[in-house]
Amino acid sequence: MFPILSAVLATLLVGTVLTFLSGKSARWVALATSFVFLAEVAYLLLQFPGWAGFAGGVPQFADGESYAWIHLGWLQVNYTLGIDGISLVLLVLTAILQLATVVYSWGETKKPAAWFGLLLLTCLGCVGVFVALDVLLFFLFWEAVLVPMFFIIGYWGGPRRRYAAIKFFVYTHVASIVMLVGLLALVFYSHATSFDYASVYAAAPSLSVVTQAFLFLSLFFGFGVKFPIVPFHTWLPDAHVEAPTGGSVLLAGLLLKLGGYGLIRWAVFVLPNGFHEVQPVLFVVAFASIAWGSVVSLAQRDLKRMVAFSSINHMGIVLLAIAVGSSLGLLAAVLLMFAHGIVSALLFMSSGSVHHTFGTRDIASVGGITPRTPVLATMIMIGSLASLGLPWLISFPAEFTALLATWDRLAYWVLLPLGILVVTAAFYIWMMQRMLFGPEKGIPESAHDLPAYETVGMGILAAAAIVFGVLPFLLVNLITASPIRVFPGV
Amino acid sequence: MDAFLLLDQWAFLIPLLMVVSFALVGLFGTRLRALEWGGWAAVGIGGIAMVLGVGIAIGEMLHPGTYVNAQYTWLHLAGTPGPFPEGISLVAGTLVDPLSALMLLVVTVVGFLVLLYSIGYMHHDRGLPRYYAELSLFLAAMTGLVLSNNLLEFFLFWELVGVCSYFLIGFYYEKPSAASAAKEAFLVTRIGDVLFLLGIFIYFFHFATTGPSGGWAANGFVFAHGTSPFLPTGSVGSSTLLTIAGLMILGGAAGKSAQFPLHVWLPDAMEGPTTVSALIHAATMVAAGVYLLAVTSVFIGFTATDQLAIVAVGGFTTFFAATMAVVHPDIKRVIAYSTISQLGYMVMAVGAGFAMVGLFHLFTHAFFKALLFLAAGSVIHALGTQDLFKMGGLRKPMRVTGTAFAIGGLALAGIPPFAGFWSKDDILGSMYGELGSHPLYWPFWILALLAVFLTAYYIFRAWFLAFGGNGPRDPTLPPAHEGSWVMQVPLVILSGMAVFGGLLIFVPGFQGLLLYGAGASGIPPVYGPTDLALSGISVTLGAAGIGVAYWLWGNGRIFVLPESSPLQPVRRLLLNRYYLKAAYDWVGARAVYGIARGADFVDRYVIDGTVHGFERAFGAASDRLRRGQTGVVSDYAAYVIAGLLGVFVLLLLVAPYLLAHLGGT
Repeated sequence: MFPILSAVLATLLVGTVLTFLSGKSARWVALATSFVFLAEVAYLLLQFPGWAGFAGGVPQFADGESYAWIHLGWLQVNYTLGIDGISLVLLVLTAILQLATVVYSWGETKKPAAWFGLLLLTCLGCVGVFVALDVLLFFLFWEAVLVPMFFIIGYWGGPRRRYAAIKFFVYTHVASIVMLVGLLALVFYSHATSFDYASVYAAAPSLSVVTQAFLFLSLFFGFGVKFPIVPFHTWLPDAHVEAPTGGSVLLAGLLLKLGGYGLIRWAVFVLPNGFHEVQPVLFVVAFASIAWGSVVSLAQRDLKRMVAFSSINHMGIVLLAIAVGSSLGLLAAVLLMFAHGIVSALLFMSSGSVHHTFGTRDIASVGGITPRTPVLATMIMIGSLASLGLPWLISFPAEFTALLATWDRLAYWVLLPLGILVVTAAFYIWMMQRMLFGPEKGIPESAHDLPAYETVGMGILAAAAIVFGVLPFLLVNLITASPIRVFPGV
Repeated sequence: MDAFLLLDQWAFLIPLLMVVSFALVGLFGTRLRALEWGGWAAVGIGGIAMVLGVGIAIGEMLHPGTYVNAQYTWLHLAGTPGPFPEGISLVAGTLVDPLSALMLLVVTVVGFLVLLYSIGYMHHDRGLPRYYAELSLFLAAMTGLVLSNNLLEFFLFWELVGVCSYFLIGFYYEKPSAASAAKEAFLVTRIGDVLFLLGIFIYFFHFATTGPSGGWAANGFVFAHGTSPFLPTGSVGSSTLLTIAGLMILGGAAGKSAQFPLHVWLPDAMEGPTTVSALIHAATMVAAGVYLLAVTSVFIGFTATDQLAIVAVGGFTTFFAATMAVVHPDIKRVIAYSTISQLGYMVMAVGAGFAMVGLFHLFTHAFFKALLFLAAGSVIHALGTQDLFKMGGLRKPMRVTGTAFAIGGLALAGIPPFAGFWSKDDILGSMYGELGSHPLYWPFWILALLAVFLTAYYIFRAWFLAFGGNGPRDPTLPPAHEGSWVMQVPLVILSGMAVFGGLLIFVPGFQGLLLYGAGASGIPPVYGPTDLALSGISVTLGAAGIGVAYWLWGNGRIFVLPESSPLQPVRRLLLNRYYLKAAYDWVGARAVYGIARGADFVDRYVIDGTVHGFERAFGAASDRLRRGQTGVVSDYAAYVIAGLLGVFVLLLLVAPYLLAHLGGT
């Protein structure tokens, strides 16, 4: 069988190298790479056979590949890849975001070869995380994402970029170590025959419940900082405020999803009994993130910082959907990760365009922009309405399912996230009132509407938000082609 | 099969047509040589939609009690473990039944008339394509809502009408007051929507039933077919849960239909164009809450507690809103308060179990209230002011408008034979029959009765101020003139409906439309001795209201409440809207925003501050460690190995020891 997943990784790797080497024409190489990547993902979708269920108690993956890599006594590390519906949905997200980001940053003039190369490298790392089925391989890709993002923030970022980049790196790196310790402990204690996902999955139930609970907690911390979870979230607003637009897009759109993906794939599925023991911890953290992210957003004056805090709120809902531990909840979590990937990317692009059109992102000092920059205003409107959960846009089916699953398990506790929906609506609607409507204010003479490439980049995302909002089942059927379909619930 | 019934299968075309209109006008409207062309395109498509809507309604009238459900599976999750062993199916579809046919009639007819009228009203506005695009989208959403065959689909359209309303209230978005009113409308109705969502969750999980075709086992959303409501017989759940679900539905309806305490947004929504007020904030969208209650009561059912709560909210709002209309100087806001009050009547009727009586009032009200708004629109269009105290004597230059407003006023005041009399009196009469068995309904029935007097008073106060007297009180106003034919024709048609619409209740076909289903008692209205006496009382109250209005404001008189009057505090209270708006603003702008500011402070200086504390501690420690940085590679290798060894010792020795003591491996 054709090793399509390796081909995807190879495409991105070759594309990255060529981009670095191609100087001024880097953006064309990056664009070509994005299209090839998109075509490969389309091929994956077309030939995806669905989910094959379990064999020998282990979930089966499609397009699997496995080659021996390091075999030293008990150290049995393989290069093992494979996908199910969850990975595939996130690959679709990666392909869309990569294309949109490359197009949006078409006008980048500061070391364009390095810029586009690092963008592709970040996507390569994310794809690796989504397809790797070996502990060590997974971890390598996981860490590989940090490096390009560190440089993207640290070189192309705003005035405090050094501080933000180091903070980002230290935070997520510490979390990675805890996660690595958890993963290694999982392999050792369970006496798994190899580092493969399948053998870890098969061996994990032999662990005692207490061990499983501890392992789950360490994995939860490791993945959770990426979410991010309150109170380990303060790297996120700083990283976003300082990061360049393309960096923010990938950070919010993809990097946060790594946490959710990792938690579902490596913790929830593998350690359901441990999960059951610590479920209340997840609930508390999820509720805290939902409420804190939304309430703090309301006080932000910087548009980008506001969107960053709203990410904490939305990822909190993802965590809540995971925490309820039902099949419906996991479905909602993956759907919401996809939705948030699209919508937050659109909003971060909007903030970037606001910044270079008006010279500031301060919500209170720019007003009435709609007549002067109607396209930008429309994009902000679509992004805001999608983010606050308006039906017919992508977030609604996801949030609806998440809250439905929450009602199923937690009954009236669902009133808390439901009530927070009003606060979320409030900060978006209030921002729109101040920035888009009212008399013109703080608009420089030179301000003009978006350049074509920014319109196209954002247009891709806006179109995705509408298409998948009207037809969410396109995604739902895919996501349930995974162990989610039969997840027994905890 | 009858040609009309054949239409029912194609009901989805109505929302689809309006979406096409939205796309056409929205995409190409600004590129046309004349902006009105886009408007005329929307009028034309709206006309086709109206023909279809009226056709469907006629079909229902000819074949009372027909149900045509056209649906397809939107989402199917097979065999999910957990609460739905048989899987979850969500369907999308159209259900044509007597309720939706009645609503379709209202929405498409009033919608078409407003589209037509707007050609004249908006002709000098550069935003005309945007206006017609948004109005088309609104009509698509509203007809979609009316035709929905399940609660989830209902909610999807419910939110879409809400967002259209948001954009249309903020149509003149350069005005800060319009932008602010749009925000307020969105957020206040959002509170109701969130409650509605919880109600949907409860119905979905606990009152799911099997549909007639089988297979949608977990489909708690789909409205039942046939004539019997589907109460949760034999399903899980308690009546407490059903009560709570019903209250949540009431919450959603209160937000949309501007019932106390979520009524504050509707008067401010008058910042939008008057045509928008006529269509969205009088005839259709605000009635969606009443329609939701009616659909729920017919298809699902309310518990007795729910019913009392609904009656209480509706009855109280009826009176409460009418008091505020009494003092207001703005012609549109007087009518807006009147809308809240009239919606209260409908809510009360549905709550008491007379869903179809409530819908009958919805029907008549849609026409005469749209008439009042459009007549007010003609005045505003001619004079450029909404202040009643600047107007005067308009009955001479604006004969059509003045007559139309008077007819609308008589219908609103409940003077026979105008439309409002039949529907409102039917509500009061039907409710009266229930008072024996539900003594707690008494106070709300009395409030609703008293509101009849206030209603007649405030609407004729407005008429006398605007149309009575000899001339405008503000001499700087431009000379008044009647609008063009596109504005007059809708006024004439709506006047016809305001005069004769109520009498339709005695036409067998229309009666058949209303007779269907639960709560059909009260149709047609009975006129025994008690009912005649009740009608006598209410007509007397209405006539008295008109009389008092004439006495105080007739012939150009201006009634000024003396400064020393003991009523002055009451007047101030009413003008300030019972200070509720101020209180809500305080909660939003001070309390919630204050908490947010506090949280932001904590985030920056406490949570992140702790992080910085660690950073400094590590900084100090690393200063000491720096001496270990010798630059010799073998030293670094030693550190790495030591670190790795540490991890392994931790994992292989220390952790198992700890775990063993905790009961692990």
